Amino acid sequence: MRESPLIGPYDSNDVLAWDQRGPRTVHRFLADAASLAESLPDRPTALNLATNRYEFLVGFAAAIMRRQVTLLPQSRAPQTLLRIAGEFAGSYALTDRDDAIEGIDSISIQPRGGHAAWQGDILRIPSDQVVAVAFTSGSTGRPVPNKKTWGALTAVAQATGARLGIKAGERISVVATVPHQHMFGLEASVMLPVVHGLAMHAGRPLFPADIGSALADAAGRWILVTTPLHLRACVAEGLRMPPGGLILSATAPLSRDLAQQAERHFQAEVHEIFGFAEAGSIAERRTIDGDRWRPLESVRIEQDGPSCRVQAWYLSAPVPVPDRITVDSEGGFIVHGREADQVNVAGHRVSLGDLNHTLMQIDGVQDGVFFLPEEGAGLVTRLMAFVVAPGKTSDEIQRILRAHVDPVFMPRPLVCVPSLPRNATGKLPRESVSELARQWLEREGHDA
Amino acid sequence: MEQSGSSLLEQDLAKLIVQTLKLKADPAAIEPEAALFGEGLGLDSIDALELSLAISQTYGYQLKSSDPQIKTIFSSLRALAAAIEKNRTK
Repeated sequence: MRESPLIGPYDSNDVLAWDQRGPRTVHRFLADAASLAESLPDRPTALNLATNRYEFLVGFAAAIMRRQVTLLPQSRAPQTLLRIAGEFAGSYALTDRDDAIEGIDSISIQPRGGHAAWQGDILRIPSDQVVAVAFTSGSTGRPVPNKKTWGALTAVAQATGARLGIKAGERISVVATVPHQHMFGLEASVMLPVVHGLAMHAGRPLFPADIGSALADAAGRWILVTTPLHLRACVAEGLRMPPGGLILSATAPLSRDLAQQAERHFQAEVHEIFGFAEAGSIAERRTIDGDRWRPLESVRIEQDGPSCRVQAWYLSAPVPVPDRITVDSEGGFIVHGREADQVNVAGHRVSLGDLNHTLMQIDGVQDGVFFLPEEGAGLVTRLMAFVVAPGKTSDEIQRILRAHVDPVFMPRPLVCVPSLPRNATGKLPRESVSELARQWLEREGHDA
Repeated sequence: MEQSGSSLLEQDLAKLIVQTLKLKADPAAIEPEAALFGEGLGLDSIDALELSLAISQTYGYQLKSSDPQIKTIFSSLRALAAAIEKNRTK
């Protein structure tokens, strides 16, 4: 049976993570994880809500040591967490802040007592051990779980590192703006460093100036794991980065124009990863070289009629690709767009059907629809919603919605209307909603 | 005018926020002391990023979340305006 160690080629005094509070060595990490593992309750599943990347890793490793599965909620919305905890009976939450969720038992990842010398061997983990569950938005209004084995996570990290030319023993520091509970964040900002023996920044810089200071503190060559959104902000702000790094972007397509600007301005290579929660990262490209994606090692993409499927040794069954793509004779592919129901807001994929379903569940809402307008001038294009709810105000509905929906998907605006332009069959053609949106934006004096 | 309680900079900043984030709100109706994020205007971290760019371009002040005051700075229109007043370079 295949197996691999919990962490890659580090020396015990190497820095595994750092932030403004200082460095955490490999030695300290192993002691922290082992001591947390001892104090975990005997439960099957843990919701890891840690905001600090190092604390997240300590919780993740401790759960693995206890053969527990880490649940990765896409959002911290209380209703989402309760629903996940409801579906995975016996779940508890691991947190690194005082933000207990009512109805879910919480355990603090820190502080742990003492940092005794680490004596044991490094745990080896079977490839088929399920270590995490990532959630995607389906059309039914409930999050769809996707099980991740240790083999899948380590294979993707290995293949990504090989593709980016990471050499064993090379001094590299990884800084990430993406959340580690997101599949790309877990793979690129946690698994990639751990498998290749790199240092990771424990924080999650938001503003360009924060990204700049994290990179300035990075030892050796740096890799910035980010999204087109943050990259656009860094370019717009004229941020300085130490030259010679590598930018790894995912979650939404990066324009070649922005990639060119970023490569020139930051003197860094800009690579993109293509993936989705169901299969993880499957392909890479250097954006300035063209639109074609090159599959990662051991990934094969098969055309299956109009749709495509991903195969890899670590996937228990072929996984359908949620985008419309065309595969070429050498196995590379071009992406044409999302399937109709799926939209991407600020790098987060969601099913419009799912959001509509959630909206319609609200008391007093008779009809409602979410809509993603064409891209505008801002950093991010937000969803809009049109709701028929006599006697309710848009603020009241927003307030209820907020408990059920990730903030990034909150409609801006939510407009109350007397009726929706449904056709004779009860369907709501996209063009009609689009027209409704155009009229509203015009009336309010915003640029469409 | 109901705005007697807010400074000129606060009024300008309210307009910048509404314009940048395409809010439905009337700039004059944003309470200077009310919360901008979470329950108040319901802004999130992407808004913070977008807003930070607009502030940097308009006032030449680069926000940093490692600033120990960041929570206070973003707590209300008034606090944000005060931080801009102190740090602006244009």
